[in-house]
Amino acid sequence: MMFEGKRQKVKGKRKDRRKALFIVFCIWFFMGWTQGEAEEWQIAVPDYEWSFPQDHWAREGYKTEWWYFTGHLKSENGREFGYQFTFFRVGLLPTKPDLDSDWAANNLIMGHAAISDLETGQHYFSESIHRVTPLLGGFGVYPDTLLAWSRGPVGTQDRWLLRWNGDAFDFSAVDAGKDMRIDLRTRPKKSLIFQGPKGYSKKGVGESAASQYYSFTRLETEGSVTVAGETFDVVGESWMDKEFGSNQLDENQVGWDWFSLQLDDGREVMLYVLRDKTNAVDYARGTIVLVDGQTQYLKRDEFEIQETGSWTSPETDAIYPAGWIIKVGDEILTVQSEMKNQENQAELVGTLFYWEGAVRVLRAGKKVGRGYVELTGYGAGSVPGL
Amino acid sequence: MVRYFLKAMGAHFKAGRMLFVLTVFGVALGVASVLSIQIINQNALAAFEGSMQAVSGDADLSVLGRMPTLPESLYVDVIGDVGVAAAWPLYRVSVALADRERFYLEVIGFDFFAPVRVPWDGGRPGDFSDVLARPGWAAFTPTLANEMGWAVGDSVKIYSGSRAVWLQIGALVDFQKLSPLASPKVVVMDIAQAQHLLGRSGHVHQIDIRVKDGVDVNGVRDRLQEKLGVSVQVVTPEQRSRQTEGLISAFRLNLTALSLISLFVGLFLVYSSTQASLVRRRAEFGMLRSIGTTRRQVFGLIVGEVVVVGSLGVVLGLVLGYWGAKANVDVVSSTLTNLYLLEEISTLQLSPWLFGVAGLIGVGGAVLGALLPAVDMSRRDTRSLLSAFTLHEKIGSFAPHLCGIGLGVFVVVGVWFLLGGWQWQHAGFVLAVGLLTGLPLLTPMAIHVLTRGIQIRSFGLAYSLKSVGARLQTTAFAVAALAIAVSMLVGITLMIGSFRETLNVWIRTTVVADVYVTPSSWRGQGDEAFLENDLIQAMRNFDGVRAMDQLRGFLVYSNDHRLALAGVDIGVPGGASRFTLLDGDFETAFEQVHKDGWVLIGETLARKQNLWVGDSVPIYVMDGVHEFQIAGVYYDYNAQGGAVVLDLKTVEKYWGPGSINSVALYLEPGVDTEVMVDALKAEFETSAMDIRSNKRLRDEAMMIFDQTFAVTRLLQGISLLIAVCGIALMLLVLAREQVSELALYRAIGATRRQVFGLFVGKGLGMGLLGLVMGVVGGIALAMVLIFVINRAYFGWTIQVYWPWGALVEQMVTILGVSVLASLYPALKASKTPATELGRDDV
Repeated sequence: MMFEGKRQKVKGKRKDRRKALFIVFCIWFFMGWTQGEAEEWQIAVPDYEWSFPQDHWAREGYKTEWWYFTGHLKSENGREFGYQFTFFRVGLLPTKPDLDSDWAANNLIMGHAAISDLETGQHYFSESIHRVTPLLGGFGVYPDTLLAWSRGPVGTQDRWLLRWNGDAFDFSAVDAGKDMRIDLRTRPKKSLIFQGPKGYSKKGVGESAASQYYSFTRLETEGSVTVAGETFDVVGESWMDKEFGSNQLDENQVGWDWFSLQLDDGREVMLYVLRDKTNAVDYARGTIVLVDGQTQYLKRDEFEIQETGSWTSPETDAIYPAGWIIKVGDEILTVQSEMKNQENQAELVGTLFYWEGAVRVLRAGKKVGRGYVELTGYGAGSVPGL
Repeated sequence: MVRYFLKAMGAHFKAGRMLFVLTVFGVALGVASVLSIQIINQNALAAFEGSMQAVSGDADLSVLGRMPTLPESLYVDVIGDVGVAAAWPLYRVSVALADRERFYLEVIGFDFFAPVRVPWDGGRPGDFSDVLARPGWAAFTPTLANEMGWAVGDSVKIYSGSRAVWLQIGALVDFQKLSPLASPKVVVMDIAQAQHLLGRSGHVHQIDIRVKDGVDVNGVRDRLQEKLGVSVQVVTPEQRSRQTEGLISAFRLNLTALSLISLFVGLFLVYSSTQASLVRRRAEFGMLRSIGTTRRQVFGLIVGEVVVVGSLGVVLGLVLGYWGAKANVDVVSSTLTNLYLLEEISTLQLSPWLFGVAGLIGVGGAVLGALLPAVDMSRRDTRSLLSAFTLHEKIGSFAPHLCGIGLGVFVVVGVWFLLGGWQWQHAGFVLAVGLLTGLPLLTPMAIHVLTRGIQIRSFGLAYSLKSVGARLQTTAFAVAALAIAVSMLVGITLMIGSFRETLNVWIRTTVVADVYVTPSSWRGQGDEAFLENDLIQAMRNFDGVRAMDQLRGFLVYSNDHRLALAGVDIGVPGGASRFTLLDGDFETAFEQVHKDGWVLIGETLARKQNLWVGDSVPIYVMDGVHEFQIAGVYYDYNAQGGAVVLDLKTVEKYWGPGSINSVALYLEPGVDTEVMVDALKAEFETSAMDIRSNKRLRDEAMMIFDQTFAVTRLLQGISLLIAVCGIALMLLVLAREQVSELALYRAIGATRRQVFGLFVGKGLGMGLLGLVMGVVGGIALAMVLIFVINRAYFGWTIQVYWPWGALVEQMVTILGVSVLASLYPALKASKTPATELGRDDV
């Protein structure tokens, strides 16, 4: 079976639980692709009328939405970290059922947070998932500064928060059980840009296979991270993606490779490649953000990505690419992962595992930038991350 | 020897089929009576545990309210604890199926999106939009759907309180696959829909918790208990089981005690059967001994045969016991749900240890019964075995000694009880055991005394009775067995009759309003089903209604004891007679309850906790524990361990606002109650309410009472059957024992009819003697049950009433059955030819 988990190493009761949870997770992840409910949900359109800052807040009516932060941080004593912080809104119904109960909900809120300690090579991952209720989590309404919040993972007293600070975003995530915490504040170094013309980002040939997508490609970042119980004050740069839509993936697509690269010369590159069941490229697009913030949108034939190595996850047996050569026009960039093991293994949702990791960018053997890469749909039974 | 044993067994079976069948049947009945009760007893608790397993799965802890519900906001505190791996809230409602009498479903409202594994995982649907938004979407069990002829997509009308709600069958999920003891009546739906359609928002009934691997469960429990406060209890599954076990312990113990009495009687039968078998084979043993068989071999033969008979009895007893349990599980189940609001017993499971118990009772009992006679028989010399014989020759001369021992037992037990034994909760059972042990010991002497004065004028009934006395060695056992059975029968009949009448009088005194209205899904005291406010208002203003009393009832905790709390309009005009006080001044008490927030407590609670007027009772309230002053103690027949009555205003003060569970209407003078009931039913046709006149309410209360004691009646029947089998067996022994004597009668001219009459007379005589002994024992047993056991376990005051009709009916039945039981032995005896007269006998 396509979605059957392959995590043989999990044991006994936990395995059973995961199996059950996995079913649930699969169902709601694939709900949009299998049930043809698009007529009820709003779909991404090329002429979407953007309105900022309101569009930073949740756009109810679309099935999926996320706020995705990745970046590189450095402590005062030079210790380097990569991080990821994401809030997903998973739409269950376009509108909230009219029930006299606080549990009446039409959304789930899911949080993923990860820290890659580049010095020790340790990768930490935490997650939370809750039904949107006044007790467990929710999404703010403009002009309230709160964009999204949720209870932390079970076993953690504190909340996970995402706020609009007037210029960009502040966010925090904590996992008491894993002794990890992210608490960061950001400020834009470059303005918001649209990914795809007017923020319309195609993901396939189908009419509805698209999302509304914008990014802050360079956010000055400061705050603290805690790993293994040790807290570090950090500064660095982040990349933020906000995306929302319904049914953006085609049925035959099983995963994607996504790159966000910040080059030292002030430019940024975003590329994504959607793979089909044969692992061949099904659809691909990209954006180059120039130093002055101008964007150049790339079609599939305007760039080329070649894998140069691989890494096999000892936990999931998934074989991920571990290096790439990217050709865009005349430019040839080499991308290498900072650490091999940056795989996120979701425990709350059975076989959801993906690689989300810090990378460095080289040109002719010289480091010219850094970035983050997301690899989903690798390994038998892996379910693509959103 | 083994070959001989096998061949001899076969030959004896052919020669005395009736005796063999009776013996096996006797053992089987003894085994079955104990077994059936044990199966039911065990499954009563298993039903609770099964239901707990079905609902909570492998949860390590559960947070339960000390009131029916707890604020759902506590869930946040639970999931914030560092030792918690997963937690999920449950909203649980008992609803009644419309159009079916007392057919309840347990609806579990669950967060379908909680990332946890729960027993009803399969109930998670493919299309979540239905779960969330399709009104009434619910997952049912295929078992229930098949039984009711439902399919996915069908709508099912249910009553939740006074609301009529339609549930939609969204999925069929076999929860029993995951938890075999789960009730097929479990229905799972999304928590939001459950709160909206069936209850209220902001509250849940429990929060289940799975603790992280390697973390100390008790540590998490203690921490959560401290964090969540005293208004909830954090308990392990074992603690929940123990609480339930404690709740129904008195009920189970009573059943067990009754089954043990059946066993006691059954052992008599086993013993009698062994005697009968030995009598038949006496000459054979003589022959064997004379041709060189050793005493040990004879002993082995006897015990071997008893083991075979016992084993057959066990096999049959297992079947009968299971059948008995199955036939009675419904009534016990109803009692559990009516009185204790527990889960129904939907499936019966046999634990392996029950087979062991059955084997021990059957084979062990038989061997025990045969041991002494076997030793005796193996020790006799050949001549004595081959000559005309009697068993228990010494019983006649031992009668006074046995009587002395019996009286000694009474005295010792009686003195022990009076000198302080009464303080022990189980003292009543010691008295009962003493009574049932002493009674058989008195029997030989009693028979001797009762038959001594009989003058024989002809070969008729008097002769029969006299010969019962003369053949004490054999008849005493059968009479003693019958006396025990009759004691039990009379004792329980007298107790139940008295209890029934006491309850009847109590109900007539306390059910004083004219019309009673409850929500259709209300199962009994403590159930949460409520009436909606607009309905209550409409009834209050209904033409012909003079006054209305409201009841808000729920279960609360006093220390670790569960109490049924009732908030009533204590000041309602004419309503004071609802409570008959056992302790406390009538007028002062009601004033204190009305104005000062004091409480009335039920007798059950008073006796169990030794709380009386002037004391206070600590009860968990919203934010802690409050000591409520006791204004009075009222007569109460609550089974749940205690009841307290407060004024509604006091309830609201300490437990916050809540819904009314039932109302009682007092009508204007001259308004006909039944007409009013019809008018109310017509007016509130669409609401799910049961509207009853006071007469119907009383009748229903008595019906539930009768149902509760149905199992007891079954046990009575089994005991009686065992005793009657005993009589038949003993008469068969007599027929065999007296072959020479009967042949002599025939030789000197007695007709077959006369010999037949003699034996029927003996049966009747034994029946009469057993009856006399049994009635005396039964009355004593009833007094122990009424004044000691019931008070100690339930705290009920029962007045003694004599159910003459039932008692006379039973006496006549016993005598009739004794005669019937003697027909076959009489027929056998009457066929004894004069040629059986041996040379030794002349």
